[in-house]
Amino acid sequence: MKNEKARLEALAQFIIGEASRMGASDSDVSISTWTSVDTTVRLGEVEKLETAAQGRSLSLRVFVGKVVTSASTSDFTRRNLTKLVRSTIVLAKAAQPDEFAGLPDKEDLASLVPDLDLTDTAIAKLSVADKISMAKSCEDTARSFDARVTNSQGASFSDSFGLTVYANSRGFTGSYNGSRCSLSCSVVAQEGDSMQTDGWFASNRKLAKLGTPDSIGAEAARRVLRRLGAVPGKSQEVPVVFDPVMAAQLLGQFAGVAHGASIYRRTSFLVDRLGEQVACPELTIIDDGLIPGGLGSRPFNGEGQASRQRTIVDNGKLASYFLDSYSARKLGVKPNGGSQSNLYIKPGTKTPEEIIASVKNGLYLTHVSGPGFNGVTGDYSRGASGIWIENGELAQPVQEITIAGNVLEMLKSIEAIGDDLEFRSSVASPTLKIGSMMIAGK
Amino acid sequence: MNKVITPSQYLAKTFGLTPAQLDKVLGVAVGSRDKGAFSDIYFQVGTTEGLVFDQGILKNPSRSDVSGAGVRFVIGDKTGYSYTDHVNFRNLTAAARNAATIALHANAVEPVQVGPKRQQHNLYPLEGILIGLPLQEKVDLLMMIDKECRKYDPRIKNATVSLSIQEETVIIVTSLGDLILDRRPLVRLGVTCLAEEGARRESGSSSGGGRVDFEFFLEDERWKKHAHKAAQEAIGLLSAVPAPAGEMTVVLGNGWPGVLIHEAVGHGLEGDFNRKGTSAFSKMIGQKVASDLCTIIDDGTVPGRRGSLNIDDEGVPTSNTVLIEKGVLKGYLQDRTNGGLMRHGSTGNGRRESYRHVPMPRMTNTYLAGGQSTPEEIIKSVKRGLYAVTFGGGQVDITNGDYTFSATSAILIEDGKLTKAVKGATLIGNGPKSLHHVAMVGNDMALDEGTGTCGKRGQSVPVGVGMPTIRIDGVTVGGTSR
Repeated sequence: MKNEKARLEALAQFIIGEASRMGASDSDVSISTWTSVDTTVRLGEVEKLETAAQGRSLSLRVFVGKVVTSASTSDFTRRNLTKLVRSTIVLAKAAQPDEFAGLPDKEDLASLVPDLDLTDTAIAKLSVADKISMAKSCEDTARSFDARVTNSQGASFSDSFGLTVYANSRGFTGSYNGSRCSLSCSVVAQEGDSMQTDGWFASNRKLAKLGTPDSIGAEAARRVLRRLGAVPGKSQEVPVVFDPVMAAQLLGQFAGVAHGASIYRRTSFLVDRLGEQVACPELTIIDDGLIPGGLGSRPFNGEGQASRQRTIVDNGKLASYFLDSYSARKLGVKPNGGSQSNLYIKPGTKTPEEIIASVKNGLYLTHVSGPGFNGVTGDYSRGASGIWIENGELAQPVQEITIAGNVLEMLKSIEAIGDDLEFRSSVASPTLKIGSMMIAGK
Repeated sequence: MNKVITPSQYLAKTFGLTPAQLDKVLGVAVGSRDKGAFSDIYFQVGTTEGLVFDQGILKNPSRSDVSGAGVRFVIGDKTGYSYTDHVNFRNLTAAARNAATIALHANAVEPVQVGPKRQQHNLYPLEGILIGLPLQEKVDLLMMIDKECRKYDPRIKNATVSLSIQEETVIIVTSLGDLILDRRPLVRLGVTCLAEEGARRESGSSSGGGRVDFEFFLEDERWKKHAHKAAQEAIGLLSAVPAPAGEMTVVLGNGWPGVLIHEAVGHGLEGDFNRKGTSAFSKMIGQKVASDLCTIIDDGTVPGRRGSLNIDDEGVPTSNTVLIEKGVLKGYLQDRTNGGLMRHGSTGNGRRESYRHVPMPRMTNTYLAGGQSTPEEIIKSVKRGLYAVTFGGGQVDITNGDYTFSATSAILIEDGKLTKAVKGATLIGNGPKSLHHVAMVGNDMALDEGTGTCGKRGQSVPVGVGMPTIRIDGVTVGGTSR
């Protein structure tokens, strides 16, 4: 691995040297290489084995004054790379200047590459047979959980190891390794006319923290069984409790329009709102690229800037956007580490049970469907299914409904934030109760 | 240009591979012990050029090269797959060894049958070059579009115009003796306009393209239509009122609203879900699943279309498959594996995102065939409802059949007349049920402009959709107003 790092860092520097030799005023290079194995079992038998023994890709940008052009390839031969640099510079000479283009300023580049504990040798020690057996036992548990679990879409164990290298002509060269493993299972349940599918998954950089195949399989079964007998809901305006997966999705959509590019293009409902109340006073959204072992953690970003902890929403007030060097220059502010890394909503104090118990008549949301989100206006309208809450209890599964509102109003009307924050991907949220949304149904 | 190059010559020139070496790689995958097994190598070499014109300037022109190959081994219902980004004999052999480990898990499931023999089509012949055209010509087009958008209305404050030009060569070698090359162009133009008036901001977009060359956008001033459509939608939304919530009659315009067909029935009829019995349409062949007015077809053979292919990504020529005829379920979309296991044969719908992915049954161009009514008659027939023409995408739950598709803007119909513009809303229905409520089908069938991308199990492929104007009763509309 050490050799691989040195070899690819040298390759990146070779490209930067070539670019400079051929007349680029600046350049940068990102390289990633990976290996991965995906094992899928279905109905107790191996269904699919997929491996990538030597995945790789390389992208480069060249600047000729204020003109920037970019290219990517998976052909790492020096002959090809020289050719690619040349054609990218030729393209730059035909393109137009952009006064905001450029590499990050030197003081914004990471000065050291912290070890964020992103790899796990325990994953590397697993044999394919071990992986198959984990997927099998996960699916077995789900299938034998209840007689109504009648079919399966399969269970998969996947892992990958990757190396990321970034170098630029302002003297930055850095690299880091990362690994991850994931286990997922999706089953089908049937009762009378009702056939439903659902599943569960876990993903982690550490095998020991993944969760047992049994626990993931059992959760997949519980989730599909509670959908059985779903009926179309009725049109009405009610509180909606977003389960942690749904809440994380909503958070991701919110963050998507907090990126610098949406702000300078003015295609975001968050334009001109820094410092304003955009959510209930209890809501705090953090992005932290330095969480040890975090799925979205990185010692530096795609332009060599150091990771940091950023508060995006501070007690309901919009505190910052996600700013890379280009959008920061465009907006006349300092960059803060670019795109999101580990993004989460700070947990509250209520248990999910307490939150559900606080709803007399409303929806516990477990699935959404369709694009249905307008980032320019914040208007939100999506297909939905979940469980109807009656007098504080999960009472009746519902499907074929839509939920609609405006994200700004939804976040302002949050009435409860759960204590159940758990990182299942790089975006995570506890349970959220939105005060009121329009449900459309029969 | 247009010099005919054989697949063998191409592989020799690009990767230095000889026919004997290909046989060896396939031989590693299909060992003599594995009777009835199937293996293939999928080579992909291509370039995509991307341009974005935004805020009045050209931004970061880019070029992306792909080159790689994947080796697959199929035995019964089991698949082994491995790919390399660095194609040479040694790496292909290693990939073949990885793929072949699936043989350890073989069971007694019957071997895969081969589909009917069809000829490779010639749906997108290319006259000239696609990649490496002078930058200025393309930049000029993007600037022209930017100007046109801003000229449309002073409230248009920005236009983002993107152009993607792709050319790929795919070569498929199979253990059945196939050795096929397909050269695939794909271009796409996208226009998004931002309109601002006071504190209100709205955006509108339009896009199109196909397996054609760059000139396509200049013909019939297509570029101008996209500019106008995007600007018109953004301006229209500035005064739009909230969409209604609840069940109502919906009239869908022709073309892209066919995304309804893609979500409501298309995915549910893909062979993998039906072989496994996880689709709401499983075991429903011969049953009535839609009104008599509905005939639904998947056709990969329409010349120049975004969803069209001369051969699918398993080397099988694409075809025209009737999925639903006058409301009765007729067929599924199949790849080699699922088509073989279900004894239907492949319909030429085995597709993959790239050499890094295993193929599976996917749609090509999926549409509802035209009927008798004029669009005017259809709108006139509605007392109170919604007329929806512009859509984003959609999604479906294969197993319970619930599907959604999202209108980005719509117009209210009151007493047979189009009245107020309303904001976007998601529409929801149930696949095997809702098409029974298709009450009128227009005579204006059209495929979309060539913009769709379909995602399934993490793989994206370009597709087409189509539909005439139709009326569906009792659709749930996800607005916010009562």
